[in-house]
Amino acid sequence: MTLDPCLGVESQLQSYLDRQLTAGEVTLIERHLGSCAYCRERYHFEAKLRDTVKTVCCGDPVPDGLVERVRLHCRGHAGA
Amino acid sequence: MADPSPETDQHSASDRAAEARDRVHFEEEALTHADQLYRIALRLSGSPQTAEELVQETYLRAFRGWRGYRPGSNLAAWLATILRNAFLDEARKQSRRPAQESYEDTSEYYLYNQLAESGGEPQEAVLNRLAGSAIVDSLADVPPAFREVLVLVDIGEFSYQDAADILGVPIGTVMSRLHRGRRALKQSLAARAAEGGP
Repeated sequence: MTLDPCLGVESQLQSYLDRQLTAGEVTLIERHLGSCAYCRERYHFEAKLRDTVKTVCCGDPVPDGLVERVRLHCRGHAGA
Repeated sequence: MADPSPETDQHSASDRAAEARDRVHFEEEALTHADQLYRIALRLSGSPQTAEELVQETYLRAFRGWRGYRPGSNLAAWLATILRNAFLDEARKQSRRPAQESYEDTSEYYLYNQLAESGGEPQEAVLNRLAGSAIVDSLADVPPAFREVLVLVDIGEFSYQDAADILGVPIGTVMSRLHRGRRALKQSLAARAAEGGP
């Protein structure tokens, strides 16, 4: 953490969302988020942004019959 | 010279049968990752047709090189490595390899701040309003070297270490590309949110 706790949270927020911080760092961040509305609001926004991007990008329909076409393709090239 | 004993013949036949079984087992297990690979391929290439071709090429290479897979290791990551190589080969053919731009100088809260400045709706409401296509297009705007890390970690749900193995780079490089990729994505989203404002 830097001297300014809000800057500290800003710099570690992505790692926090990635669950890459140590237990001690997590405790410090969560304590700060519990008491600082400025950081809490931004944390919620960043978390929602992650979820939104993931939901949209994982919602692509996989084409019907993909696996069967892969099997056929590989059989067609077997030994080639 | 004596002919090979019937015993040896039997032995090698059973070895071959065991290998054939292992191979079938490997192929079936590998195919359970097809959806995940397709989504990664789609976000890397931006085209459903290219994505399917990349997935087919990936499995062709995987089935040919299946002995190179170490049983018990991360099969999805092994397949993603092949997919990424197939994508790079394709990109090289089309000679569109990434310009490495810098996104270091923007704040972590760039998108939030931009949305706050434009006023009106609460920031989270803007996210709800952004069409799926705006998000997909914004991701496509991210330079490829950063986008592939974003796709592997944020969409493919690979760990930093898996992404580092797949890309053949140190874990620190994964973290820095991820960092820049996320900032690039926010800049692009901010531009699109401004275009489609209420």
